[in-house]
Amino acid sequence: MKLYQMSAIAASGWLYLGLTAGAMAAEPVCGLNNAEKASGEPILVGGINGNAPPGDFSGGTDAAAAYFACVNDNGGINGRPIEYLVENDQWNPELASQVATKLVKDHGVVALVGNGSVVSMAVNARLYVEENVMVMASACAISDCYENSNIVSTNQGPLPSGIGAMKYAIEELGTEHVACIGFNIPNNGGWACDWVAKYMESKGKKSSALLMDPASVDLNSVYLQALAEGVDSILLMLPAGPALGILQVAEEQDGRDTFKWISPTPLYDPSIPGTLGDYWDGHVFVNIELAPFDSSGNDNGNWVAVMDLYGQKGDRRDTFSQSGFLSAKFFVETLLTMDPDKIKRDSVTAAIKGISGLKSDLLCGPYYVGDFDRHMPNHAGRMVVYKGGRFEVVRACYDIESSYLDAIRQQERALNLID
Amino acid sequence: MKIYGLFLISGLAVGSLYALGGIGLVVLRRATGFLNFAYGAIAAASAMFCWQVMAWGLPGPAAWIAAILTGVALSLLFGWFIAPGLAWREPVVKAVATLGFALIILGAVSFLWDDAARKLVLPTDKIGIRLLGVRVTMTRMIAFAASLAVVVGMVVYLEKTRVGLHMRALADNRDIAAMIGIPIVRIETIGWAISGGLAGFTGLMFGDLVRLDPTVITFMVIPAIAAAICGRLQSLPATLVGGLLIGVSEAMLTLVKPLAPLRAMAPFVIAALVILWMQRRQQLTFVTED
Repeated sequence: MKLYQMSAIAASGWLYLGLTAGAMAAEPVCGLNNAEKASGEPILVGGINGNAPPGDFSGGTDAAAAYFACVNDNGGINGRPIEYLVENDQWNPELASQVATKLVKDHGVVALVGNGSVVSMAVNARLYVEENVMVMASACAISDCYENSNIVSTNQGPLPSGIGAMKYAIEELGTEHVACIGFNIPNNGGWACDWVAKYMESKGKKSSALLMDPASVDLNSVYLQALAEGVDSILLMLPAGPALGILQVAEEQDGRDTFKWISPTPLYDPSIPGTLGDYWDGHVFVNIELAPFDSSGNDNGNWVAVMDLYGQKGDRRDTFSQSGFLSAKFFVETLLTMDPDKIKRDSVTAAIKGISGLKSDLLCGPYYVGDFDRHMPNHAGRMVVYKGGRFEVVRACYDIESSYLDAIRQQERALNLID
Repeated sequence: MKIYGLFLISGLAVGSLYALGGIGLVVLRRATGFLNFAYGAIAAASAMFCWQVMAWGLPGPAAWIAAILTGVALSLLFGWFIAPGLAWREPVVKAVATLGFALIILGAVSFLWDDAARKLVLPTDKIGIRLLGVRVTMTRMIAFAASLAVVVGMVVYLEKTRVGLHMRALADNRDIAAMIGIPIVRIETIGWAISGGLAGFTGLMFGDLVRLDPTVITFMVIPAIAAAICGRLQSLPATLVGGLLIGVSEAMLTLVKPLAPLRAMAPFVIAALVILWMQRRQQLTFVTED
């Protein structure tokens, strides 16, 4: 047994139980749900994750793999099983290109599902368009992922989630001037903080972008910079690790009450409550992109049930995992509407682009794809606060306002999803 | 003016960590001729094992000792099993071998511990004083004091003890040192052990003061090497000054808005300037056996 698994059982077992108890489902419900094993010609589906230092983005493909296994045990795609080929790009651009080429050109997958890799999205965005293959991603965090005709992600990414957090902070916490602390990566931290600044400006508020190198060690100076800027709130537009580092520095400086502390989704992770401690009780507000892990909706309960029965030991149970489950579910529902003998890449791409108005309790709005040059179906979320060793919902589903979404709203009007 | 004081204190705190890393590198370089790129990875493994011991419920002191012993063990692993085979190779070959060792350790650490959020907390984090408006915790003071103490201690050790004399002789000329009967293996083992212990301690400090992230701790070897270059891979006091200078420069650059996002390059710029300065004096930087 790995050390982290032992520690997870020892230190976080109670937390996991607490998170999932409310969402426990008796039996998973997958695809045709007829308890018959699929035995026809396999349908090849790909998935790429990034699982190596500096991060594990495998939650989406893990959950998709679990759901596909469940579907294969329950009639498959009208009798045809899904053969899910997952590759790890190890955060290596060269490898990301190789594995995408292998899946798309050599294996000829009909689509990619559950993808979660910052590197792969940037490197392979053009390949997906050229090869007319759709990616139903689950763990996107860069602009390339949301501004491509052939990639649609179920997770929001930092832009809507960050703006969602700011909307709550302005309306409920009285934020006037925020420091957006992000990575100095143009299509990630720079992109998201720029749009947060535009949002703040539209509300007559101020924003300062404090961008740092991902490997930056001196987080104390970043904190002091925020202090020097005279901001009243700090938006942690960072992955969980560095965000925790900033909170650690703030705790060291006893800066909890100096700022309002807000964050997009990355801090909403089962491992966070055990790490934050009593000091931050009631002071860290996080925007979440999908339903809470312990919510009682059917899809969330099914996610837990599928992961319990078909997931692998050590699979992550985070937002990316929920997102991967949902991407896989929508993908399967789409394939089930097709003639199983006519499932080819072109027909699958057309079918995915035809998705419109799918609903799930994991999402706050409808899921759609459409034949557009960009996709961001998930832009409404919820707000939670860290309290009593867990996260509590403080605002139910709400959408964001941003001119970034102008093109997205046009798509929704074209699909008759909004007026 | 007060704002500069804030960043000065902050920079000195981080700089002392860089200096600690640099000192560990210089000690090993002087004793064995190895520039150990695995220093950061050894520190990362030590910090993670420290966290693991605490997660198992063992008392803090046991975990801190475990961190240092992990550093010693990993360092000796390389020193005993890999380094002897490279003893007569060029410095660059030795350095590349340690880079390979770093990747092995980093891979093993990633295999053993997933990237879930973790925090390393020391009791000294709760104690602190205000200095120029910045709260300086006892842990930061320990890191700073340790960097000074290690420099003084190692200078005395190298200058005043027989083992120190042997280390200096090895660093000057390995062939002659071997011919006159210096116990090379024993001296090098001591060098690897001291460096490993320092790596373990540095990892413990980094894990607490920066963040418990194996990748970040592994790559702290870069500013540490920059600090060591400031000391020409030989001078411990100059390495200390170099580390502090890098830390303070990095912190101060935060105040220069156009350069703030690029301040992580401070170690490289300072190391490059130091190398250029040394080139100006026409002195070979890394060669010891000419």
